[in-house]
This record gives sequence, structure tokens and C-alpha cells, in this order.
Amino acid sequence: MSRVLVAMSGGVDSSVAAALLVDEGHEVIGVTMKTFCYSDIPAHGKTCCGLDGIMDAKRVASTLGIPHYVFDVEEDFTRDVIDDFVSEYARGRTPNPCVRCNSNTKFRDLLARGHALGCDRIATGHYVRVTHSDEGTALLRGLDDGKDQSYFLWGLPQEMLPKLLFPVGELTKSKVRERARTLELTTADKPESQEICFVPTGDYRDLLRKRLGPVHPALEPGTIVRADGTLVGEHSGFAGFTVGQRRGLGGGFPEPMFVIEVRPETKEVVVGTRDELFGSAVAVRELNWLTDTPSPGDAVRVQLRYRAPAVQATVVDVTGGEMRLALGDAQRAITPGQSAVLFNGDRVLGGGRIV
Amino acid sequence: MSTVYLDHAATTPVRDDVIAVMEPYMSVTFGNPSSTHRWGQDASAALEDARAKLATAIGAHPSEVRFVRGGTESDNLAVIGGARAMSTPEARPVVLVSAIEHSAVLEPAEWLHDRGEAEARVIPVSSDGQLDLAAVTGGLNERAALVSVMWANNETGLLLPVADAVAWASGLGAIVHTDASQALGKVPLDVADSDVDLLTATGHKLGGPRGCGVLYVKDGVEVEPLIFGGGQERALRPGTEDVAGAVGLAEAIHLAVAELETSATRLRSLRDRMEARLVDRIPGLRVNCGNAPRTPHILSLGLPGIDDGAAFLMALDLEGVAASGGSACHSGAAAGSHVIEALYGSNDPLITVRLSVGHDTTESDVARGADAVGTVWARMSRGA
Repeated sequence: MSRVLVAMSGGVDSSVAAALLVDEGHEVIGVTMKTFCYSDIPAHGKTCCGLDGIMDAKRVASTLGIPHYVFDVEEDFTRDVIDDFVSEYARGRTPNPCVRCNSNTKFRDLLARGHALGCDRIATGHYVRVTHSDEGTALLRGLDDGKDQSYFLWGLPQEMLPKLLFPVGELTKSKVRERARTLELTTADKPESQEICFVPTGDYRDLLRKRLGPVHPALEPGTIVRADGTLVGEHSGFAGFTVGQRRGLGGGFPEPMFVIEVRPETKEVVVGTRDELFGSAVAVRELNWLTDTPSPGDAVRVQLRYRAPAVQATVVDVTGGEMRLALGDAQRAITPGQSAVLFNGDRVLGGGRIV
Repeated sequence: MSTVYLDHAATTPVRDDVIAVMEPYMSVTFGNPSSTHRWGQDASAALEDARAKLATAIGAHPSEVRFVRGGTESDNLAVIGGARAMSTPEARPVVLVSAIEHSAVLEPAEWLHDRGEAEARVIPVSSDGQLDLAAVTGGLNERAALVSVMWANNETGLLLPVADAVAWASGLGAIVHTDASQALGKVPLDVADSDVDLLTATGHKLGGPRGCGVLYVKDGVEVEPLIFGGGQERALRPGTEDVAGAVGLAEAIHLAVAELETSATRLRSLRDRMEARLVDRIPGLRVNCGNAPRTPHILSLGLPGIDDGAAFLMALDLEGVAASGGSACHSGAAAGSHVIEALYGSNDPLITVRLSVGHDTTESDVARGADAVGTVWARMSRGA
């Protein structure tokens, strides 16, 4: 068996992933990536080693009898994930920081550190699977439809796939919890984390205010308009709006209104009816492929947000780092900044960020 | 796999003979030293015996010994409490600390500065242990309140010229604090001879219990308390005294000082053996502060060709060897050490690994430790 580095967040999934690998006889090394500080007062406390996730992971590692280390990636994470998150909102887009982290920070760092520690393989608690064949390694959806996390992993470098293990991808969430309880892991009944890890309060606008400063166009009042330019209201900062949103638009409309576009250059939030929210053309940039690059005319399925179903689409073209897709059926709230992930059945082909 | 603990500058196992003297004070003689009854009297007697023993070991009078909860607390009390006691309404006092102080000295000084209570100035230190006092003297105008210069640096073992600091400070009318946590029991030290005003020491660096420290306060020197709620330790550190801890601390310090001559020779020989082995094995290795006076128990290495110092320590641990980066306080931190930066500049390309020996270290331990460092270095160094 081999030496495996397991990224342990302190949550139940990665705890069980580590446990399964121990059971399989691997030499397992647990690591937790310290990505940020909860504290807003870093002036004197230059380190914060007391993050709950780290403590939970340490306890689980101790239960499993494996070593555990903390990887401090705060600087890289801030630059590659948090700064991107903030600048995307400032540009009127809706970022997905988990995709960004997996593509740019987490796996890259794990692999580099794993190499230094003599590890052959890297494992995480994601609900996805990898299969190996003569044609290479494929990334597949996790078996549990309700938990599948393949949407977040399209940005992995293709050459990394053969080194990755996703032990819980073969299980359902309830099996994972059952397993954790059998092992008496402290994290067995920990609630699901829903929030973005660096926005524990859930109020991302608060983070934007802190990082953009009090005076920034994205946080200044602007107008709410219809697609034809008709003024229908005012808002307190376009960074608080995402395509498909209903909240915060004020009332008095004859029918339900949704955000259909954010225009940062004029600070306008454009609203429209449910019908106006649907679109059938998608442009995608920052592409990454886990298989060969698709060709124009290819029939694929595309997932446009986490937990949305993959829908039928045709590749129109792939040129100059941009791919255009024509959707079989118009979809609701195609949101710039979110990912478009291409599938063939359960297999992840790759993806990019929606323009 | 056999394991080797070479991180005695982080903490040490408590000596068996120290545990033995502590034990009765956790069970039989458990009283509160402030109580009137005989239980209290017995505890109080033990506490005062410990105070006297500790005082003798460091050359102090018992009335000058304050038991506190560890080295960090002692440093905080000295810097903040000492500066406050020295401040006058007329002018903002100046606190002068060496650039390579422990964060338990640096951060309180910065804190005073940020709050406007004092001006903090940092005294540059060279890698051969010289203080650049001229760099911080300008515009003091009799405002110098407190100078803090550690006796031995925790990351490198570098011994600082505390006597120079004392002579300089007395000319400025400032009091002098020294953090001797890594020095006591490793090099000869007598508070009366040194003429410092405040001295910090802690138990767990020399085979004593953790969470037990001392602040020596020279008779006549004022220090303001930081916590309140009882008159213990001359009101400088209120709270029911940890009698067992004080007894253990005093015993550990007493033993370390009594055994100093033989133990220092032994530790130095172990350290030097390890050093020689590594200098042989790793081309381009720098022994940090290698040409300066150092404590006998610390070997600080500047390793060439390694990108990731944190991973180096993890890899060493996987080889069964305990070591530290700079200090043990920043586990997992990617940021470099302020000490190495102060001594070797911010563009220093070497990573730091600290190996430190103690009373339970053997010759085979240091051979094994040096070999593990060599092995991991060979695997991780660029181009290897």
C-alpha cells in the first residue's frame, strides 16, 4: 500500500475518507489547510491556530492514529480565492470560490506538499469518483446524487487525476455518517457546512465592504431598470445582486421581477419577468479540460450551477479561449461568474467560467 | 520506528525528581496558602521554601521572586507593568526591545505603542550578538523607561550582551528586563551580579512543570499588575498560588543550576557533535549565530536549497524526529521567523530548522537526528 496525504477539513466526509484509507492499509497522513483567519484583529495575534476545523481534524486524526499537520496557505488562498471573490462581485459577477480554490489552491498545494512528504497519492472527502482505463483517468460524479460535488472540480489539471483518491465518492452521505458513528469520530454528527468557508456569517457584503473599502462603485447606490432602460427603482450597491435574485428589488410590480443582469459600468441592476430570465446561449471562458477539447457540433450535457441538473447542449465553437454553447432548452438565470461544467453521462469533461 | 525528541527549546519532559517533590502538594499538603488554618500554613510554608530555594539558585533575595503562570505572563508583566510603573504624566515613555525578543516581549511592546501608552523602539541585533544601541538613542530626552534584552535567544541560542544593555540603560535612567527562559540552567546567571531589574524564567524549559514561571523584581523596582483580585505575590500576580507548581519550578531551577557545569559540558558536546555531522553532510549549510557565543543546547540551521520549511519539519516528523522551525509557537505558519529576518535580512534564502538537546538526550539521539535531517534534506533539496 502507499503513503497517502488526506486533506481533512474537520468535517465528516474527509474524516471518513481518512478512515477508509486507513482501513485499506494505506499509510495515511492527515493535513488541514489553514486558509484564513476568522479574526478581524490580526494586528497582534499574527497566528490563529484555534480554528474549529483544525481542532476537529486533529481529534479525528488522533482517533485514527495517524499524524496530522496544518498547511498554512493563507497568503495564497487570500490572493487566489478571496481576492478573486471580491473582484468578481465588484465586476457585477457571482463567483464560485470553491471552484476557484479547488482549481488554483487546494489540489496544487496538496500535491506539492505531498511530494515533499513522499506521498504517492492525494485524497479528499469530495463526493466524486475517478476510474482508470487504457484511455486514461476519468473524473465521475459521486454515487450519491444528492451530494455529488463534481461541479466544483472541473478545474483540476488533467495530469493530476491519476494521483487522486476520493474514497467517499463511492458512498452515500448516510453511509458516510453511519461509518463515522461506528468509528466514534467526533465529527459524525456535525451539521453540513453550507456557507462559504471564509464568510462564516453568510453575509458576503460585509466582507466586500471590508476588502473594497467604504467607497467603491460596487457598494454605492444605483438604479434598478428594465431591459428597455425604464427606471423602476434604486438599490444600495450592485454587488448585493445576482442574476435570478428576487430579494431587495422593492415591490409594486404587476408580476414577480428578477435580476436578469448586473451592469457594473453604469451601476445598474436590470430586472425583468420570469420569461426574461431564461436564456439559451452560454459563453464560457477560463476553460479547462479533463478529456480532449470538445469540437463544434458535439452534443454534451452542461450543468450551469451547483445542484442544477445537467441539460442538453451543443458546442457551437471553441476559439480564442472561449467556448459557446447552444442549450437544447432555455435555462433560468444563467449567471456570469458561475461555472459551466460539461458532462458525458457521469463523466466530467471539463468546464469554464460563464462570461 | 524509533523516535527522537530534539526540541527541548520548545519544552522538556518534567524530571522524575521534580515530579516527586511536587506530588505531596497536589494531595496531602493541598491547602490554600492564604488560609489561616494549618492546611494553609503548611502550604504557605512550602511556597516560601520554594521561593527561597529559587532565589538562592538565581542569586536573588526571596522577596524579589514573584511566582507567575509561565514565561509569557512574566514577559507581559515586565514589559507592560514595568513601563507603566516608569511612566510619568509629562512625556510618553519609550520602551526599547531587541529585535530578536520572543513575541511575548515584542507584542506587548507593540501593544503599548499602538495604544499610545508608550513609544516602542526596536534595537537592531547582529548575528554575532551585538546590539546597535546607537540606532535607537536619538531623541530619547530622558523618556527611556524600559529596556528588554533577552539573555539567550530561543530560536538560535545566541547570547546577548545583557551587561551592555544594563550599563546603557542606567545611563538613560531606564530599568532593564531580560528574558532568561532559555539561559537559566544553561549558562551561569546571577541576577545580583547582572544588575538587571526584572528577569523572566520558566519551568518547562528545564525539566519543570508547564504553566509555572517567575518574574524576578529587584527590590525597589516597581511593576504594575495586569490582573486584579487578591493580594498574592505582593499583589503583582493575584490568584490562589499553584503551590505544587512553585515547588516543582523551584526544584527544577535549583537542580539545573546545581548541575550546570556538568550538564552544560554534556549538552555542548552533544550539540557540537550534531553540528559537525551536519556541516559535513550538507554543503552550504549555515549554522545560525555559529560564530557567536551561544547556549549549549540549541543548534539553529540555515538549510540551503529548500523551498518549503514547514514541509521539511513535517517530513522530519515522519522520520521520527522532533524539531522546530524558528520557535514552536507558530506551528503551521508559513511566515518566516522575525529572529532570522532580524539577523540575516528579509531575503535570506535559507530555511531554519532548530534542533535542541536536553537532560534526557543521548549520543545516539543526536546521531539519529542529524542523519534524519541529512536524509530529508537530500530528498527535498532542489536538484537533488
